[in-house]
Amino acid sequence: MIKIAQLSCGTEYSSVQYEIEKAARSVGAKIVYPDVSAADINKAVERFGFRPHSSQLKLMIARAIQLADGNFDADAVFITTCFRCAEAALVRNELRRFIQENTNLPVVTYSFTERMKASQLLTRMEALVTIVTRKELLARERQAGLTAGLDSGSSTTKAVVMLDNKIIGKSWTPSHDVVESATQVLNEALAEAGYEYKDLEAIGTTGYGRFTLGDHFSDKVKLVQEELTVNSKGAVWLADRQRGEATIIDIGGMDNKAITIRDGIPDNFTMGGVCAGASGRFLEMTSRRLKIEVTQLGALAEKGDWRNAKMNSYCSVFGIQDLVTTLGEGKKFEDVAAAACHSVAEQVYEQQLQEIDVRHPVIQVGGTSLISGLVKAVGEVLGEKPIVPENSQFIGAVGGALLSSGFL
Amino acid sequence: MSRETRILMICPTSNVTPEMLARSIHAMGEPVALKETCYGCLIEGEADVVRRVADKARDMEPYAIYSKRRAYRLGDPVRCRAQHGTRPGYSQLEEEWSKLSFIRAGLEAAERGEVPAERPKREKLPVMKFKEICEVKE
Amino acid sequence: MKVFIDPPNSMILFDLVERFGHEPLSTMAAIQERVDNLEVDMPPMNVTLDDVVRGLKYAGIEVPSGVRGRLAVWGPMIEEADAAIIVDDAPFGFGCVGCERSELMVKYLIRRRGIPALRLTYPETEEDGIEFVAKVKEFLEGLQ
Repeated sequence: MIKIAQLSCGTEYSSVQYEIEKAARSVGAKIVYPDVSAADINKAVERFGFRPHSSQLKLMIARAIQLADGNFDADAVFITTCFRCAEAALVRNELRRFIQENTNLPVVTYSFTERMKASQLLTRMEALVTIVTRKELLARERQAGLTAGLDSGSSTTKAVVMLDNKIIGKSWTPSHDVVESATQVLNEALAEAGYEYKDLEAIGTTGYGRFTLGDHFSDKVKLVQEELTVNSKGAVWLADRQRGEATIIDIGGMDNKAITIRDGIPDNFTMGGVCAGASGRFLEMTSRRLKIEVTQLGALAEKGDWRNAKMNSYCSVFGIQDLVTTLGEGKKFEDVAAAACHSVAEQVYEQQLQEIDVRHPVIQVGGTSLISGLVKAVGEVLGEKPIVPENSQFIGAVGGALLSSGFL
Repeated sequence: MSRETRILMICPTSNVTPEMLARSIHAMGEPVALKETCYGCLIEGEADVVRRVADKARDMEPYAIYSKRRAYRLGDPVRCRAQHGTRPGYSQLEEEWSKLSFIRAGLEAAERGEVPAERPKREKLPVMKFKEICEVKE
Repeated sequence: MKVFIDPPNSMILFDLVERFGHEPLSTMAAIQERVDNLEVDMPPMNVTLDDVVRGLKYAGIEVPSGVRGRLAVWGPMIEEADAAIIVDDAPFGFGCVGCERSELMVKYLIRRRGIPALRLTYPETEEDGIEFVAKVKEFLEGLQ
């Protein structure tokens, strides 16, 4: 049983503790609390040097120190506090840093509202467990044999067929029915590769539809794994950065991921909440307003200057309204396109990248990394141009094909 | 009647041990469940019985045994230390336990009818006084 | 009379209020009501989403859920109380009293109700203890 140490404030009074434990249970883990005595707490707070007023936060600090000193046995750490509490947000982030500097435990942080359900935590908890239990598999750097990866995302479904560490077939389609979309792209990728389904030695599935696909292709599927660890592997394989450190930014259709990795294995990650305004969806909506294809948006944005088209809101509803107003004022389309890209990049910076220590290089992946204007905007916000590897939209599928070959 | 679970805690300066406390409660022959702990014991039963037992237990040493209600049943796995580590309220209990001897002194003084002496309020040092001290030090 | 205690899980205050013949209103009782409700299965405390939403009575949606959840448990007790004893700067108010913002609001709610309230600090010495108990005794005996 994987033990996830919980450092938290407010969960029991927000009706979410049960949901946290449910999420942990469903991925084969158990929530535990490092034991501390009253005497430990003052010493811990003194040593840590941050003295919060709320005593539950002091308790969090003391529990973190128990983990750092190796007095308590845990496999991973989950740090969580109430959304909108400034005092707790400061402690949460500093403890995350402290745990990472003083232990080898994977950490995930989360700020909850009372409406948080176990399903929102599932991918994060699953990733924690994967990092702990599949260390050897995640260390795999080469794909072997004939395998396929299926990435069933909220916007698009992707398939890749790989043979002996080379991509020999690939395809994608906008997501509709999970199984139908995946069957279509898998057949297309196989056709390009010149193989048939029966030839495949293994399939790895990831993304929102991973479980459904795991059941449907059960005769071939050897790996059903969340997208945080799978995408990381795909990204470092595509960018040829298997060794050393890097940060992976994946702006998806529904949510965003920022993952820090060491030798291809994630050691920290943040996942944005589901927000259309901070995701690829916003760029799709912008394209529709501009009456262009989303694939054309990037080039258009690159020519524009976001400063010429002010947006006052990050929200997809109000933000788009701002764009319409700007267009009405006769602003240039390219400036509006640039402003939309800048808005998404800025939000990713403000919401995700603040919770991890950005390591270099930055690898930008996912379908949105093909929107050059967005990559430029991310580069501007970060002060460093991200690397966009070839086939960057296929990270999940590549990761699936690569990791599933570990079961051959 | 409803169930009541109670924590009985022994003041750190008392000679009563949790074992003695538990034995005396058993000897009452009342229908309560009992669990000895490192600081006293937990008792559970019908609310009126539990209160009667707690009052009688206190008679062993009136100002050395303290009690409060507990929300959870005896051995409730939800709050079991073996399952989850110490529950959050435990540190509060530890802190209050360390102060019970002061409360005991207070209750004993109250019984003797002592009125606490008016204590001088701590005031800030006047600047001139501070100046004098500084000058003497030089 | 019903006396709200703060910290609401304090053993010292619970004991003294009972000892001097009054009924303490505590977190333990409020949580027991929830724990014993077999229709709800939200361990460990059975504080539910409905509770947190009810907390909106005391604090707006911009206030963190943990504060509203706590106020939903204590608010009704403060409304029911005839008097209150508050120990300021409790060294370790954990779990239910772990949030300083909720604590500030509890003290304010007591004040807003205008019920008799005694404010103290935890004793650090025997001398403090004598003064502490004397004040509590005088306050509780004076409640009509």
